[in-house]
Amino acid sequence: MPILEARSLTKTFRRPDKTSGFKGAVKHLVQRKYKNYTAVDGIDLSIEPGESVAYVGPNGAGKSTTVKLLTGILRPSEGTVRVMGRDPHTERIANAHDIGVLFGQRTQLWWDLPVEESLKLLKHMYGVSDADYKARIARFDELLDLGEFMPALARTLSLGQRMRADLACALIHAPKMVYLDEPTIGLDISVKDRLRAFLRELVDGGTTLLLTSHDLADIEEVCERIVVIDKGAVAYDGPIQQLKAHYITTKAVNLFLEGPADVDELKLKFPQYEWAAGEAPSEVTVTYESRHFTAAEVLGGLTAELAPRDLSLSEPSIEDVIRRLYAGELTK
Amino acid sequence: MTSAFAVDRAFAAIAFKRRLAYKAQWVVALVLGGGAMLVSMAMWRELLAGGALSGYDWDSMRAYIIIGFVTATVVFGAADWQVADRILDGHIAVDLTKPVDFQRARAAEYIGSMVSTVPTVLVGVLGAWLLFDPPGPATPLAGLLTAVSFVLVFPLAFGLTYLTVLVCFWTKRYLGVMWLREALLGFFSGMVIPLAFMPSWLQAVAWALPFPHFTTTPAAIYLGRVDTAGALGLLAAEAAWTLGLWFGARIVFNHAVKKVTVHGG
Repeated sequence: MPILEARSLTKTFRRPDKTSGFKGAVKHLVQRKYKNYTAVDGIDLSIEPGESVAYVGPNGAGKSTTVKLLTGILRPSEGTVRVMGRDPHTERIANAHDIGVLFGQRTQLWWDLPVEESLKLLKHMYGVSDADYKARIARFDELLDLGEFMPALARTLSLGQRMRADLACALIHAPKMVYLDEPTIGLDISVKDRLRAFLRELVDGGTTLLLTSHDLADIEEVCERIVVIDKGAVAYDGPIQQLKAHYITTKAVNLFLEGPADVDELKLKFPQYEWAAGEAPSEVTVTYESRHFTAAEVLGGLTAELAPRDLSLSEPSIEDVIRRLYAGELTK
Repeated sequence: MTSAFAVDRAFAAIAFKRRLAYKAQWVVALVLGGGAMLVSMAMWRELLAGGALSGYDWDSMRAYIIIGFVTATVVFGAADWQVADRILDGHIAVDLTKPVDFQRARAAEYIGSMVSTVPTVLVGVLGAWLLFDPPGPATPLAGLLTAVSFVLVFPLAFGLTYLTVLVCFWTKRYLGVMWLREALLGFFSGMVIPLAFMPSWLQAVAWALPFPHFTTTPAAIYLGRVDTAGALGLLAAEAAWTLGLWFGARIVFNHAVKKVTVHGG
């Protein structure tokens, strides 16, 4: 049975329809006009317990609005949501006991108090026992180095510390379903790595996770399934590996030769591959169809013939695929 | 398992601690509130030099002004902006993901912030008592009922403030709403001028509103301007307004929450 199920989920907002300039402002004052804007357009989504799902899309695609619908903050204009069998909007308080939410751009820490005070208030809110609280704080400290800034005022934290503290706030009650909206936004690479490792461990422990992020490394390292939305509707829903296997059919090898590379000659010698000159005269990139050739075949043949000084293999990335999905070049 | 009141206490304690973080506020509140009290004392001393006006003599007015200082410090010193900001900056999105009743949590926070004004009140009242030596309550029972009226001011002030803060869901601004509420509160509570000095029709308007319970009710009970039955009637009206505003705010919130439109992350 799915832990989360959304059917034909739709959210329409009313926006003021103003023309620019002074005249437009005066006109709107006298004769108000509004336009309906559909942020989420008939989304179907079903998540099984223990799944880790990346929910991605370009800016304004409706990701955050969907998260707000799924967490009960917003009431759907149409459609239904059930989280653990409950309507998250009408049964908001009961639902909130079982979910953890992090909005990367909004802190849940009390700004002018030490981090510890915020966590203690949340302990009371969720009815976490003293023993569980201590054990979880110790765990967060181990994985997120929480202890170093527990006594610090929230407003004095760096962005990375704030995000780690917010993550602890979202998870202090060991929720079954966790929504993370842009959890790594603005963080440096080392903090991102730690957060990803932490999330991976969370998922391995059986927590169900819905993650929105613009950082594709978050998605690849933490999630198994990806839902791509664009203009409020689902553009792709399936395993990340399947997305890669289905849409990423080529791989590339960068070769650094001893002398200048003659691309035309290489094209004649290896017509089964695509060739392109690299940035340096001795650099050349060869692209091959991964469905027809294995990396071992390609590398074996090329190294035997060309004896390159160095080489690198480009791993398949979902970034291009998602970019192409956003651009409408690919379909489900 | 944590009791429901433990959560309320935790919210109130957080709000109190937040006020502790800004110690200068206490000094400023004492200087402004104490200054306003001194100006009032000087003005009424001159006005009442020739004898009683509208039933107030200099003795009773000294006590009245101190009661006005107490309610004004508690009510105007509370953290109404913190509630308004949650709605205006979209922080309500985070609040709605928590397993607590939004109104009750805000009430606990608000009352916690009101409690943080008590030291200012105590210092101000002590100073005023030493300087002006006001009369005590008309009777010990009047003193007790005045204390009940003061206690009811806390939830009543929350109800009034919260209901006006919820208007932000529609106005998207708070400043004007706050000014209007504070102007009406200052005028119709009797904080600025006792209601007895107003024409009878204006007094009738005031008593049809919750505002007089912020100064006129505790002052009338304290000074013995109403008998015990009258005092109990005023307290019943104060309690009724408290409940009415509480449940009225619930209805408004249930409509308002449908208007939550927190865009972006």
